[in-house]
Amino acid sequence: MTGLPTDLLEAPSIPAPELTIFRERTPTEAIAAFCRRNPQTVIGLAMIATLLLIGIVGPLFVNTNDADPLSALPAQSPSRTYPLGTDDQGRDLLAAMVAGLPDTLRIGFLAGAIGLGIGIILGFLSGYLGGPVDAVVRIAVDTLLTIPGLLILITIAASIKTFISVNTMALVIASLAWRQPTRIIRAQVLTMRERAYVQVARRSGMNTLEIIGRELLPNLFPFLAASFVGAVFGAILFSIGLEALGLGPQNQPTLGMTIYWSLRFGALLRGMWWWWMPPIVVLVVLFFGLLLLTIGLDEIANPRLRRTA
Amino acid sequence: MTAGTRPKDSRQAETLRVEGLRVYYHTPRGAVRAVDGVSFTLKPHERLGFVGESGSGKTTIAMALIRLIKSPGKIEGGHIYLGETDLLSLSDERMRQLRLADIAMVTQGAMNSLNPVKRVREQVIDALEDHGERITRQEMDERITELFRRVGLKSEVAQMFPHELSGGMKQRVVIAIAISMRPKVIIADEPTSALDVVVQRQIMETLREVQDDLGASIILIGHDMGLMAQFVTRLGVMYAGKLAELGSVNDLFDAPLHPYTQLLIASLPSLAQKGGLQGIPGVTPSLLDKPSGCPFRTRCPRAFDRCSAEEPQLREIQPDHWVACHLY
Amino acid sequence: MAALLEARNVTKIFGGGMLSKTRNVALENLSLTIEDQPRSFTAVVGESGSGKTTLARLLLGLTAPTSGTVSYKGKDLRHMSRAERRTYLREVQVIFQDPYEVYNPFYNVDHVLETPLAKFKLAHSKKERRSLIEEALQAVGLRPEETLGRFPHQLSGGQRQRVMVARALLLRPRIIIADEPVSMVDASLRATILNNLAQLNKQFGISFVYITHDLTTAYQVSENIIVLYRGVVAEAGDVELVVQKPQHPYTQLLIGSIPLPDPHHLWAAAKAPSGIGTPTDASCKFTDRCPYAMPMCIERAPPLFQTDLRRVSACYLYRDAPTIIPEDLPSILASTSGGDAQDQAAADG
Repeated sequence: MTGLPTDLLEAPSIPAPELTIFRERTPTEAIAAFCRRNPQTVIGLAMIATLLLIGIVGPLFVNTNDADPLSALPAQSPSRTYPLGTDDQGRDLLAAMVAGLPDTLRIGFLAGAIGLGIGIILGFLSGYLGGPVDAVVRIAVDTLLTIPGLLILITIAASIKTFISVNTMALVIASLAWRQPTRIIRAQVLTMRERAYVQVARRSGMNTLEIIGRELLPNLFPFLAASFVGAVFGAILFSIGLEALGLGPQNQPTLGMTIYWSLRFGALLRGMWWWWMPPIVVLVVLFFGLLLLTIGLDEIANPRLRRTA
Repeated sequence: MTAGTRPKDSRQAETLRVEGLRVYYHTPRGAVRAVDGVSFTLKPHERLGFVGESGSGKTTIAMALIRLIKSPGKIEGGHIYLGETDLLSLSDERMRQLRLADIAMVTQGAMNSLNPVKRVREQVIDALEDHGERITRQEMDERITELFRRVGLKSEVAQMFPHELSGGMKQRVVIAIAISMRPKVIIADEPTSALDVVVQRQIMETLREVQDDLGASIILIGHDMGLMAQFVTRLGVMYAGKLAELGSVNDLFDAPLHPYTQLLIASLPSLAQKGGLQGIPGVTPSLLDKPSGCPFRTRCPRAFDRCSAEEPQLREIQPDHWVACHLY
Repeated sequence: MAALLEARNVTKIFGGGMLSKTRNVALENLSLTIEDQPRSFTAVVGESGSGKTTLARLLLGLTAPTSGTVSYKGKDLRHMSRAERRTYLREVQVIFQDPYEVYNPFYNVDHVLETPLAKFKLAHSKKERRSLIEEALQAVGLRPEETLGRFPHQLSGGQRQRVMVARALLLRPRIIIADEPVSMVDASLRATILNNLAQLNKQFGISFVYITHDLTTAYQVSENIIVLYRGVVAEAGDVELVVQKPQHPYTQLLIGSIPLPDPHHLWAAAKAPSGIGTPTDASCKFTDRCPYAMPMCIERAPPLFQTDLRRVSACYLYRDAPTIIPEDLPSILASTSGGDAQDQAAADG
């Protein structure tokens, strides 16, 4: 390498102060520009919206009662009557998809929301108050993050003796979904706590809660949105993992449960592709959509990425 | 008619000659005309200053002179003659060789970009070797000792790491590297703005001494009129990407012609008398949509009709005293 | 004449714990009092590492002294009731160096103006709030219609700092700690902001502690000055005396190094340090740079010598003058504050 001294003489790139005089954009312009820069966000959003729409509008066209066993002739390949065929227990698989997709999304969003909620509370308490509270939260998060999540969840789910409902499932997953958000939010609060505007707010008569709620939280919106999407992603992944092992809500045709049944009845070996393929395709679309969304939100949440844009 | 237009024979007596330099930053909302038609000459052994507020284009000039304008910035036009060579026509590789060897730069940030895990000595050697200096270890050591002596550093400093040095010492190391190839032109962009006044003065005095030693010319870029008064022989006042006034430092301080220069000097707090401070009302115009005519007219107490209709050109009003104002 | 904000013998040491190798005395045994009456304008001047920013943080309650106390209206900042703390937070305001960092990027500039009015119930109606804000903005030379509703990045640095001055004006504090308020503002606007501060001081009776590295602006606005060098007072007193006839070799060096905007008054040659012996922890901190250093400077750091009615210098060159203890520094400064004393001092000079 030519060595640092030349870099050193070439160090400054764009003279920052000279660029501060740009005319600022209106919010609409900013959103439009953001969409242009981040087509992936828009695509991701569209993908998830489509899936949500299937769950919402689907029941108007498909009788979701047919998702129960013995509603149709068993093991039929796709036909005019059963567009996605039926399984061994006589479920109409299209109906199962329409009924099960919202349940899967619900587990993901519920667990993600609870995880984020706990993350916000713990992250702020830990980051803003510091001291022993911070130490306890930090150690708890760091310890839990080192243990494989699925292992813990399997233990919890397996120890539940009663019937597992969709909501129980969400709660089980939420019991771990708070780790990452807590860690991220704590780190952000730590850097924001020392900002001059927090001092100014304090001298404007705001108390700690008001400072957290009105000064810090709004600036974290992009972070929270990114964390939320990440948490939903993780929660759905965990739920599929648990369900594929048979530890899910057995009377609900969630995507993971459909995969479980198809595995259990050997759909793969018997060439019943219409049983296992559609839920996997939908999951791929879902994960891909969430991933694209996270990338887009990262740009807002990460100031360094934003500045170069 | 620009400041650069001179009889051909006087070219020999010019180290650097800039004609109609334009640098734009291309943003989604249009071109920011950071430097918009600047012309000047730098004579041998001269200390020329460019003073201006943030957004006046002074730093962009410095970066353009060594051709380190990076995207979205672009040199849109003009010529930079170093002797007979137009720097803007050189290949990137040739320009890289020329940097340091003929034209070197000392910036505010440079002292913080010294490699923290390398001894100072090795960083100087890197710079020399990068420019094709192939000499023995002993010659190199002698050279470094000599360089350090020139900038007022003990030779022991060469064995130290940057974190062991104070800000002033680091800036001296940067100057040592800058002068290592005996450049003809040294560009100093806010070289002391992160330093305390006492150290600032020492660094500026060092810079003046090495300039004497080398017989080089210096371009000092800054915002501090006081530092300009102390250091340079000729001064250009920048406003909104253009030169508002250019002349000898004595002329400029004793009898400023441009209203902006007059107000700027009047706004400087001094130790001579207390009170009577007067700021300049208004704000610097956005470089994206500059006002028509003179860029300063929106803040100028002496603006009249012509100022909004027509942009004043830099003209030589008195011998070697140039001003861009319709009052003259 | 009661003390409002009082720092008594404050020392702040960073590091020096069991786990830390370096022990850095940021501020040593400093006493400073801001009286209730008359209003005062005190500049604290020093280079980086002088302890001036530490002093600002101590006075603002952002950090606690290692020893000594900082109190407001006689109450130690660390042992205040909720109500007392609220009063202190309102009455001791701050203007920071960076006029961008003080704005929450989420809100437009109205936020910093409206919040204190709402929280301290300074206005009874929305209309009153609005008119108070407009008044304050006009007082600092800003046009409300061009300022309100804008986001901080839409204003220039100078405008942003003036909005902060307007905010201080709205709150009608007793004291403002201004930490390098103009060092990040363009030259053409610096004068305007300094004038704004002077106006708040004279017109509204708000006392200032002006923390700066810039002696020139300190001279322009302040009445008293404290020159700090590496955590200790080098020289303090009436600003006319200290700036026009500096006594301490450090003050002389500092003033001699200012780049005056006058090409006919160039920097005079600096005197070389006398270079006697190696200073120890007990020595005068300026020994190694001082052209007049003597053996006694190495032995023990000098006390404060009261060389004038309104000035002290911590230098053995003035050892014939009576010494004072550090706690008495405020009383020497107090005798200079107020407009009358100021005029008199100017006449003396």
